Amino acid sequence: MEMTPETMKILANGILLGASALGAGTAMIAGLGPGIGEGYCGGQAVAAIGRQPEASGAITRTMIIGDALAETTGLYALVIALLLLYANPLIGKLVQ
Amino acid sequence: MPNALMLAAEAAAAKELEVNGALKVAKLFEIGGTEIWLTESVIVQWVVMLILLAVILILTHNMKVVPETKRQAAAEMLVEFVRNTVNGTMGEKYGAYTPYIMTLLCYIMISNLMGLLGLRNPTADVSVTGTLAIITFFLVQYNRAKTGKFKGYFKSFVEPLPFMLPFNIIGEFANPLALALRLFGNMTAGLVIGSLIYFALGNFALVIPAVTSLYFDIFSAVMQAYIFIMLSMSYISSAECD
Repeated sequence: MEMTPETMKILANGILLGASALGAGTAMIAGLGPGIGEGYCGGQAVAAIGRQPEASGAITRTMIIGDALAETTGLYALVIALLLLYANPLIGKLVQ
Repeated sequence: MPNALMLAAEAAAAKELEVNGALKVAKLFEIGGTEIWLTESVIVQWVVMLILLAVILILTHNMKVVPETKRQAAAEMLVEFVRNTVNGTMGEKYGAYTPYIMTLLCYIMISNLMGLLGLRNPTADVSVTGTLAIITFFLVQYNRAKTGKFKGYFKSFVEPLPFMLPFNIIGEFANPLALALRLFGNMTAGLVIGSLIYFALGNFALVIPAVTSLYFDIFSAVMQAYIFIMLSMSYISSAECD
């Protein structure tokens, strides 16, 4: 197929937009970490409540804080993904 | 074949998924090229303030020393809960922070629940959550300066070892950043997933959005307000110098 300037332009813009979408999806692989972290946190809390049911209030409170902290990296990834989807900084580089 | 593809693309574009930032309503003024806008978040926050004001006036109207009405009992329960949380997390001597924590809890919770009225959560705007986190950041600095005085304040940055200075400074700014992004990220994620579900179901959006809304608009909203105050309290009390 012959490459006219028109097709090259479409190709360049397509690669830029497609790569942004792929980047948003790839960023969310970071969701693995918080998933493992929160699961571990919840599991340990259940074990602790099983051992000491009378301390369930304090354990639940500590678990929620631990969950919130484990979630932080996932939220950083989410912010990057949202930026790439809705406020893409690369959009100015599209070939006119 | 290309025609069919193009038609499908056009049909998809016509039904475009709308997840924008907060709407800009009116331009207020301009400082050195930076435009200051009146945004949707500000207006929804006025609604939040009105709701809070109404609730406070109703709950505290005609109070007695011994509670007679259910309203007063409910108000006392709420205050008691926050006071116990503050005393349990920060210690008795930080009782003066109870009004701030109470304000934070009520304000964030009502803001998060605004999604139920069909309004955009003000907390799904990073400038709102950022403001709340900056207030906490200054309270952390205030508490450190108050407990450590001049010498202790600066000494706390080179502890436990002097080469930790850059990490301590980064950590000082990372805490409020994470605090702001946690609330913003959670509320925005709920908003985006909600609109994606409505978009995917089209005209058949009947039961499923209600179930997801139960989690994102109610459970997550209350939980994130609670997490925000818990983390604010532990940041403030752990800034204490000894």
